[in-house]
Amino acid sequence: MPMLDIKNLTLEMETGGVRVKALDRVNLAINSGEIRALVGESGSGKSLIVSAISGALPPQWHVTADRMTWKGENLLSMRSEERREIMRRDIAVVFQNPISAMDPSTTLGEQLEESIPKELVEGKLFWQRKQSRKRTAIGLVHKVGIKNHEHYLNAFPHQISTDIGQKFMIAMALVSQPDLLIADDPTRGMETTTKTKVLKLLARLNQTKSLSILFVSHDLLAIASMAHTMTVLYCGQTVESGHMKHIRKRPLHPYTKALLDSAPSFRNDLPPKSYLPTLDGTIPTLQHVPIGCRLGPRCPRAQKQCVVTPAVRKVHDHTYSCHFPLHMDKR
Amino acid sequence: MINALSRYTILFTLTLLVLALLSFSLIYMFPGDPLINLTGLVPQNDIQREALIKQFKLDQPYPIQFYHYLQQLFSGNWGYSFISGESLRDEIGIAMPATFELSTYAMVIAVIIGVPVGCYAGLRSYTASDYAINTASIFSYSFPVFWLALIFILFFSLDAGMVPLSGRISLLFEVPNKTGFILIDILLAEDINHSLALKDAIKHLILPTITIGLISTAAMIRITRRSVIDVVNSPYITAARSRGLSKRQIFMRHILRNALLPILPLMAIQVTTLITNAMIVETLFSWPGIGNWLINAINQRDYPALRIGMLAVSTMVITLTILIDFFNRLIDPSREKFERGTI
Repeated sequence: MPMLDIKNLTLEMETGGVRVKALDRVNLAINSGEIRALVGESGSGKSLIVSAISGALPPQWHVTADRMTWKGENLLSMRSEERREIMRRDIAVVFQNPISAMDPSTTLGEQLEESIPKELVEGKLFWQRKQSRKRTAIGLVHKVGIKNHEHYLNAFPHQISTDIGQKFMIAMALVSQPDLLIADDPTRGMETTTKTKVLKLLARLNQTKSLSILFVSHDLLAIASMAHTMTVLYCGQTVESGHMKHIRKRPLHPYTKALLDSAPSFRNDLPPKSYLPTLDGTIPTLQHVPIGCRLGPRCPRAQKQCVVTPAVRKVHDHTYSCHFPLHMDKR
Repeated sequence: MINALSRYTILFTLTLLVLALLSFSLIYMFPGDPLINLTGLVPQNDIQREALIKQFKLDQPYPIQFYHYLQQLFSGNWGYSFISGESLRDEIGIAMPATFELSTYAMVIAVIIGVPVGCYAGLRSYTASDYAINTASIFSYSFPVFWLALIFILFFSLDAGMVPLSGRISLLFEVPNKTGFILIDILLAEDINHSLALKDAIKHLILPTITIGLISTAAMIRITRRSVIDVVNSPYITAARSRGLSKRQIFMRHILRNALLPILPLMAIQVTTLITNAMIVETLFSWPGIGNWLINAINQRDYPALRIGMLAVSTMVITLTILIDFFNRLIDPSREKFERGTI
């Protein structure tokens, strides 16, 4: 049974009297110990899924789902204290922009020590507890690869660089020894060496502590090597999901293929001035999403039937929602 | 730290210098004799006039006159009111603390009521209670202060007779002026009935304080509410929530401090409004403060008093503004050390 199991998650918001569906029947399941990549363009609703899981959605959003469970417990029907307890101990989130996700008026050390769960602090008297907190904080900071702890624990968020900030966010996420780490585009806007460092850190954590990771990103190249499974999202709909290997080798959905093709290639036999293969058009705005398969107007394989939302089909572990998948043409 | 302090000191000194220059130029810009405008002394004959002009260096070039003027300011010779003939320094020494006292109490009320109510409204933003608080605060913020004061006098003094109409304390009590704050002076005074005197002074205080305090409180609620809403919607509060911190922890550790930091500079702006309001209210309640004193000076064409009054009031406003901004610099870690001082 998957740890986190989401089936037909729909997110709606009222704007100007009209209900727009930002997420339309999204399916996502994360097994224990796996790294799942959640891939999609900007505006496809990746961060909304993260907020829906962590319960940080603003109140104007309406969440409905057939199933949204964490280890068998229903996340949608539970009381807010229980939900908070799960967020405190089991699930941790690393946000896109580390600097703005930290309190600007508090030092990094204080914020890190604050997130240490009470039951992990040793000692009875307050100074013993304080020392224990400090030890834990220093240990964590070392674990994520920051050596100069004295300096950074006393620094304020505006005084540090983005990659240190991201490492701190990861440290803060790891402090409660969670089972699932949700990384919401943690490498956005970082240059390659820093990006590699953060990715390696996450991969190592997955291997040594069997930490499950939901890695949200639009950067296919970066996560192709470390993710085990992948879910592709387009405009609030899950288009394909399955093992990374299978999807890369034989994508079934035209969008997945376009996404894989559009990754910049450095082949030697690339002809000069050749076009980067992309789909025509842009991702539609939420107020003007097409009916049926939302890729429809942009899809090279679209036909009349595509105005009906395709059902989720399954081949082994590989699910897709498309009326006319690739590699499956009837002979 | 020392760098910031010196920046603020330089800013303060330069601003005061400009103000002093302005008040010096008033000697010549006011109608009438510059000698009278400067000293408030009316010479009886030409010989006395010559002597005074020599004494105050009015026959010298302007820069030297100005230098002399500054020296006089610092040594406390601020001239004489030519209506009452009293030393202006003594008169301001009585009037200024009275205004300061009134403004302080109003500000304390504004902070004690305004900040918690504003926080409550901000946390419950866009609900019925928030709308109610917001409506009430906009409603009371838009009262003209002089009208509000008159209405209060009409209802509470004239109709209900609950509180006295005007003044600072009943004439029955002989309170010597030591600190200028009436409540402290009463406690310091000897051979009067302290509790009776305090009760009487508070009865006098209550209406003007509420009049000014109501408007400042309304402003405070609006500022705090806005600031809390901004902080609550910021990504770090979402992040704190996703770490599973309790509502109380989030409010006490993250929302409160970050919401209050931007309020301080806005409070510095409020100081000007507060003192202006205090000066208007003083006139209506015959409170012996600087506002009342200045209005009288205007009515009586008391030019030396006007010149010094303007300097005194603006010095107080600037001192408070710079002090608040400096304090904000000290406690706000995200403000850079090399940032310039501002008024």
